[in-house]
Amino acid sequence: MSEQEKRVIADSEGNVSNLLGKAISRRKFLKGGIFSAAGVAGMTLFGALGAYAATEGKVPLLVKSKGVILAEPSRCVGCRRCELACTEFKEGKSHPFIARIKIYRNLNFGPKGVQYGYWRKEGKYGNSRIIQETCKQCAHPVPCAMSCPNGAIEADPVTGAREINSSKCVGCGICTRACPWEMTAVDPETKKATKCNLCDGNPMCVDACPSGALKYISWRDLTKEVAVRQASIAAVNDSCNQCHATK
Amino acid sequence: MATYGGWAGKVLRVDLGTGKITAENTIEKYKDFLGGGTGIGYKVMWDEVPAGTKAWDPENRIIFSCGPLAGTGAPANGRTAITSLWPLHKKELVGTGHMGGHFAAELKFAGWDAIIVQGKAARPVWISIEDEKVEIKDASHLWGNGIYRTTAEICAELGSSAQVAAIGQAGENLVRMSNIMTGNSHSAGGLGSVMGSKNLKAIGVKGSKSVKIAADKNEWKKLNDYILSLAGANNQWVVPKTPQPWAEYSDKGSRWTASKGVYWGAADPPVETGTCDPHDKHSIAYRTHKGIFDFGDIGEKYTVRMDGCHSCPIRCHIVLNVPSAERYGVSGYATNTCIGWWGRGILKTKRNTIEDLEAAVVGKHMTDDLGLWCNYGLIGRTLHYLYEKGVFKSVLSETEYNSIPWDKYLKNDPEFIIDFCRRVAFKKGEFGIAMGEGIDRLIERWKLDPEEISKDHYLVYFSNGFPKHHASENGGQVGMLINTQYNRDSQCHSHSNFLSSGLPLEINKKLGAEIFGSPDAIDANGNYTPMNPYKAKFAKWALIRKELHDSLPLCNWMFPWIASPLKERGYKGDTSIEAQLYSAVTGDKKTEAELDLIGERIFNLHRALTIRGMGTKEMRKEHDYFPEWAFHDENGKKPFEPGTNVMDRDDMEKALDLFYAELGWDKDTGAPTKETLEKLGLKEVAAELGAKGLLP
Repeated sequence: MSEQEKRVIADSEGNVSNLLGKAISRRKFLKGGIFSAAGVAGMTLFGALGAYAATEGKVPLLVKSKGVILAEPSRCVGCRRCELACTEFKEGKSHPFIARIKIYRNLNFGPKGVQYGYWRKEGKYGNSRIIQETCKQCAHPVPCAMSCPNGAIEADPVTGAREINSSKCVGCGICTRACPWEMTAVDPETKKATKCNLCDGNPMCVDACPSGALKYISWRDLTKEVAVRQASIAAVNDSCNQCHATK
Repeated sequence: MATYGGWAGKVLRVDLGTGKITAENTIEKYKDFLGGGTGIGYKVMWDEVPAGTKAWDPENRIIFSCGPLAGTGAPANGRTAITSLWPLHKKELVGTGHMGGHFAAELKFAGWDAIIVQGKAARPVWISIEDEKVEIKDASHLWGNGIYRTTAEICAELGSSAQVAAIGQAGENLVRMSNIMTGNSHSAGGLGSVMGSKNLKAIGVKGSKSVKIAADKNEWKKLNDYILSLAGANNQWVVPKTPQPWAEYSDKGSRWTASKGVYWGAADPPVETGTCDPHDKHSIAYRTHKGIFDFGDIGEKYTVRMDGCHSCPIRCHIVLNVPSAERYGVSGYATNTCIGWWGRGILKTKRNTIEDLEAAVVGKHMTDDLGLWCNYGLIGRTLHYLYEKGVFKSVLSETEYNSIPWDKYLKNDPEFIIDFCRRVAFKKGEFGIAMGEGIDRLIERWKLDPEEISKDHYLVYFSNGFPKHHASENGGQVGMLINTQYNRDSQCHSHSNFLSSGLPLEINKKLGAEIFGSPDAIDANGNYTPMNPYKAKFAKWALIRKELHDSLPLCNWMFPWIASPLKERGYKGDTSIEAQLYSAVTGDKKTEAELDLIGERIFNLHRALTIRGMGTKEMRKEHDYFPEWAFHDENGKKPFEPGTNVMDRDDMEKALDLFYAELGWDKDTGAPTKETLEKLGLKEVAAELGAKGLLP
């Protein structure tokens, strides 16, 4: 067991605040045999949450991303170089449909799509504001990870951002429906989901923006600041019940 | 067959007459013509549209095409080339309209390199493209509507991320001065009525596929960063307008208008452009403040942000918010660029006034919703010219003349713009019909004196129905030669982007000498020397690059980059960027010279189409005209004196001799020789022209 893992266990006995900001890799946990005490129920829980640690009767630990991408709509010029950089420098192809930053769908009519009075709404046919949509790097709940029936959405050891483990992903698309912001996508060519993993802490979209409209900042909770895009489906397994009283 | 990156691999063909929808292989059929843009466009026109066909005949084709770079992150690839017969030319020869925006990229994401539309639908239709699913759909609910509403309705049906190319009422009503619009502010001029003649209201496209990049992703990123390091501002100005801490030079005419204390004033909150050091790639989008450039200092306050095309970091469109324009029944938000603001030219508002901004906003919404075109601003100048000459009073009936709100015209009231645009788009009265026909037909219709028009320095009518477009004011003979070559305004910026870099003449001469063989290829603007062979090389190169850019596509309003803003490079740009991008994206490795040869092939095919369409090889006599105004200076200055753009007749004849020689065209006729065409891989073209007696 590594020193870091030991520290995590020690901290998990009590002091939660010290843990915020630490990425916990599910792979590392399993390798270290941390869950031997938690047993099968713990495995299920962990499998569902990806990076949620709880031990019997102890304070649950939340793993959150170290950083998050902050977008300023007033600076966005609609060139979509961020979207292009996302897939070109990750997958070697230009593919906005699977990009982890979304411009294309808000470009002309804004996040709500075509509405009556569009000339007063967002997008190029309205007030011309372009809302860049980025992954909120949710701390908890993490709808995409919680809803994945295969536990394929796991924390990245470097940034703490959840990412797709493509060997487990079956391309069912449940994560896309679970995310209130519809930020994951299933690549129609590989049949695997894509999700922002913050590019090892050097996000390509931020690097590509010609107007400095994107910033990589220390994590803060953006989930309450951004209107949801869709009514997301609820988590499909019983993981919530294990921490939250339902009766 | 080799597999390539870049191309989608398929060309879509839609026959509106039969309702048949088919696909063709891009590589097999069109790779010799770059598999995109005007390359595909001219090839289809040559193979499928016989001489004598008219623009509105069902047999005419209209080809929407992008190219291998469209949809990638290659900087400035947002162009869609639209090729067809040009309704405004008196003989309706081949011509192209080009629009920016995101249409080309979306077409690639849907898996198509081009769309060939032929035939005529029995009733109004639109073409719906969602990846492989292509349908011809009823457009009776859209017909009669403006472009904005058409776009919104199609996006409501296809999905709001769809990109739409549509015509307005002007195109429906077969107004020759009509356009095709996409993405709110991007228009392809002159071809709206071709869609209208086919009963085709719009094409909507939505894609979920990818465009592959052949190069390794790290190499691709390196190349992108390198190219961005050489970028200037709009039109590749490489020095700022005002002295900046990082800059050795500045130039008052520069479009690099950013500076400390300059804001996008109507942004929420206001955004400062800053000084925009060329080494900072995160401020490229602020370099050009079009509010200031297009409207003067007052524009700053009304500027929301800058806008532009897919993948382009150099933003040349501006978003305005002018709330006071709303009293004319339009949104105060308006996006456009340069001549796209032509609606204000229907009035004579003074620059740097709120009236001018209001006229621009009203004009933008009227022209871009009705789908009207300006013929590079000539329509407004024609209006003013004919009004001042009293022509309207003499050709219109008294009732009609009095129905036109001239009082509003004289007061610069934007309501005149609304009235004018509706008359033209709906062909109301003799005035509306004639103004929408284009200047050549107007001259005939109203029996105006063509010679007087050719002499006029305000109209700057060039020939064949179009005005000058970067002619003698950009490179003297070079600009003049370029302006003779097309069947519409030349739209070529290869020469003007370089000559207007803002760098001192000696640096431009040094950079030019490396490409054209001598510093004598380059003159100072407004101070020309007599013709020489290096200027002929320059003109040829500029035209070849224009066709290359229109086919790859890369924006010819930005490329090529002979100069860069980098002092440490001696301000040298890189003219092999096109070849580097093409090779990296497609995996088909080509040198700069090899790619130029393809550009020359495409350019010669255009010439062959023009010859075949005119039915004569006598291009020097019948096509490559110079206008009279070019040979007269308003202040009586003589050719080659400093401070004038006036040209010398004999010198321009020599210019044609040298230009034809450089291209391998016959000196007497200006037609490509058999040998030249065959050398360029156009053997079949040479054979057909030969059979028709159209070879020199």
